[in-house]
Amino acid sequence: MLSKSAARAFFLVGTAVCSLAFVGLTVDTFGRIPEQTHSAAITPEVARGKVLWEASNCMGCHTIFGEGAYYAPELTTVYERRGPDFIRAMLRDPEAMYPGQRRMQNYHFDDRQIEDLLAFLKWSGAVDLNGFPPKPTLMPVAVPVPGKDGAVATSIDRPQIFNQMCVACHALGGQGGALGPALDGVGMRRDAKYLHDWLTDPHAVKADARMPKLPLTPGQIDELVAFLSHLKTGGTP
Amino acid sequence: MKYASQKVAYWFFATCMLLLGLQIVYGFIMAFAHAGFDVLHAVIPFHVARATHNNLLVVWLLCGFMGAAYFIIPEEADRELMWPTLAYVQLGALVAVGVTAIAGFHVGWFEGRKFLEIPRPLDYLVVVDVLLFIANIGATMWYGRRVTTTSLVLFFGLFSAALLYLPGLIDTPNQTEDSYWRWWVVHLWVEGVWELILGGILSYLLLKLTGVDREVVEKWLYVIVGFTFLSGILGTGHHYYFIGTPRYWLWIGGVFGAIEPLAFLGMAIYAVAMARLGGRNHPNSVAVLWTVGCAIMSFVGAGFLGFAHTLPQVNLYTHGTLVTAMHGHLAFWGAYAMIVLGIITYAMPLMTGRKCYQAPSAALAFWTSNIGMIAMTLAFAVAGVTQVYLERRIGMDFVTVQKEIEVHFYGLILAAGLFASGVAMFIWNFVSYGLPVDALVGAEMEIEVEEVQVRMVRS
Ligand code: HEC
Ligand code: HEC
Ligand code: HEM
Ligand SMILES: [Fe+2]
Repeated sequence: MLSKSAARAFFLVGTAVCSLAFVGLTVDTFGRIPEQTHSAAITPEVARGKVLWEASNCMGCHTIFGEGAYYAPELTTVYERRGPDFIRAMLRDPEAMYPGQRRMQNYHFDDRQIEDLLAFLKWSGAVDLNGFPPKPTLMPVAVPVPGKDGAVATSIDRPQIFNQMCVACHALGGQGGALGPALDGVGMRRDAKYLHDWLTDPHAVKADARMPKLPLTPGQIDELVAFLSHLKTGGTP
Repeated sequence: MKYASQKVAYWFFATCMLLLGLQIVYGFIMAFAHAGFDVLHAVIPFHVARATHNNLLVVWLLCGFMGAAYFIIPEEADRELMWPTLAYVQLGALVAVGVTAIAGFHVGWFEGRKFLEIPRPLDYLVVVDVLLFIANIGATMWYGRRVTTTSLVLFFGLFSAALLYLPGLIDTPNQTEDSYWRWWVVHLWVEGVWELILGGILSYLLLKLTGVDREVVEKWLYVIVGFTFLSGILGTGHHYYFIGTPRYWLWIGGVFGAIEPLAFLGMAIYAVAMARLGGRNHPNSVAVLWTVGCAIMSFVGAGFLGFAHTLPQVNLYTHGTLVTAMHGHLAFWGAYAMIVLGIITYAMPLMTGRKCYQAPSAALAFWTSNIGMIAMTLAFAVAGVTQVYLERRIGMDFVTVQKEIEVHFYGLILAAGLFASGVAMFIWNFVSYGLPVDALVGAEMEIEVEEVQVRMVRS
């Protein structure tokens, strides 16, 4: 039968061996972190952004690298997902992009603070996270639908700004937010002029429009109008 | 109660009750926000409630551990506490720091790193405070008449917890390194040194409640804490999968994380076996309930539900979702909240001479709070799994998914109501014990308590 001194020896030796191994691995990890996280890209803006991130307790609602709270979206890849203009608008006025939704704190940041946070979020999106966040494996496969000139329209044809900004509130082909109406077939319902006016300023078209005026350049608006006008059928994927 | 200085513990326990009550209030604020009723947004936005909820938890558990140590160490060391006055000062200071931190959160003073939200200057004060506490119990053991394994394990658990707070203070502009050190505090606490504290208190309670031989209890204590460190230290790797650290952590964290539940399983078997072996029918049956219940629930919450998401293949999808909240709640409750409530239930009759554990509300508090917490865990589980499926597998938008799962938060609120009424009964029971009395000094066991009571009534 096991004696008490043998039990104690098991405890002490096991703990010592594991602690040593852990310290060794930590040293090795810190040797590799600079490359994996592009630490050379941590500019003073990124560093200031991180300080601001902590002082504002963004992690009290959001996650970054999957860590934090589960009340608001994961932000590791938000820079790529939404693009800088969307994020700027969000940080300037949290109600701007998601009116009437679950609420984010309004911090009244100044422009420099917003750029710092943006730099931090851009850096975080570039870190190699071993495959996180995962790609949705069960996502309906994009089924190519012939466009009106017989060409195959795939999701590649979507303007980048559409995938970043508009899908936050609109679904297309079953993917995207539910705040605004799904945009499948919108090219049937609305003509190009209407779409152009709407995207320039929704409130000029409809005084009580629930869609905010978005930070879009004239070039982006033209690109979007061309794309939306093509959405004639139930929807391209 | 054998020594007069043991009654210091009462004030720590009373603080626990107060902070636990407040923690639950903030929990409700968040549950309502998740359910779509963020009515307090202008006053207490979510991130403020969240920081307050988490930090109240940590502070009341630490308070409970300190109270437990002040109650246990004098008895194990067989002498009065070295500096009883210092213990009161140290409690007052801890409360002052806690109140400052929480008031600070409400005006936006944070160091927003999950669980370590307390701003840096206050961190140093916490360290000093804990060192005073360590010095006090350390000196008591040093100058005591005997050093038992139970007290050693408890002491080293508390001592290493203080040490492991320090890596959390390392400042770095790299979020990956920041997160790396944060886990030295959070993981190495709950799946490492806090388990020593848990083991120490648990074995003390088993010794007192079951009457099993000390040699046997303490031998198995070593085996269990041995398993804890064997798996738990390298098991830290289960937090290093996806934060920008090398890929080999997927293997190390995967393997060692997967064997972590063994320590908790060991603890559950240990408590049940000792309770059977002892066969003593201790009059304070509610304390037995909390003690054995703690060992079992910590296996369910930490061991079983921890295992449910520790493998890297699973964690890839559950990481950063409500699945973590499901595990976090039952693990903290089962392992650490219940052990603190257990030692309180055991110590109160000895300090006050009353036997309020006989009141029906005492056992009812145990059952109601536990059933409530299990139901809360189920609500989190359904919400979490739905979130994983819709957001991570199907690719639905975060905000849309949150709308879908709002309904599970109605369930959560109902379950939390049950849980809170259980805790309210516990607090009511605690209050009805009244204050500690000096007439009980020198009485070591319940049987003697009864005699003292008779003496008190006669005089
Ligand atoms: C009180 C909770 C809360 C806090 C604190 C908070 N946010 Fe948010 N944030 C939200 C919510 C909720 C959303 C989702 C959109 C909505 O419903 O308004 C959001 C959305 C965002 C988005 C857009 C994400 C997307 O995928 O569209 C960005 C970017 C963002 N927050 C950045 C920040 C930053 C940076 C901070 C800290 C300075 C912060 N947030 C603090 C609640 C919060
Ligand atoms: C903050 C959420 C939000 C964002 C971002 C957003 N929309 Fe909208 N959108 C809405 C809402 C809400 C409506 C419905 C407005 C109403 O009826 O008042 C709408 C309506 C529309 C309509 C009219 C649809 C119809 O059938 O009449 C079009 C077209 C449209 N949006 C295009 C876009 C495009 C293109 C983008 C990206 C540049 C975009 N929206 C971004 C919320 C949003
Ligand atoms: C009593 C002991 C335990 C407590 C109190 C506890 C508590 C917690 C808490 C609060 C978190 C969230 C931490 C954060 O995000 O900052 C967490 C995460 C986690 N726990 Fe535990 N835990 C315990 C034991 C275990 C065990 C034994 C395992 C493994 C078998 C485990 C596996 C995990 C994993 C994998 C995560 C990470 C979740 C994620 O972010 O993806 N835990 N735990
Ligand atoms: Fe862990």
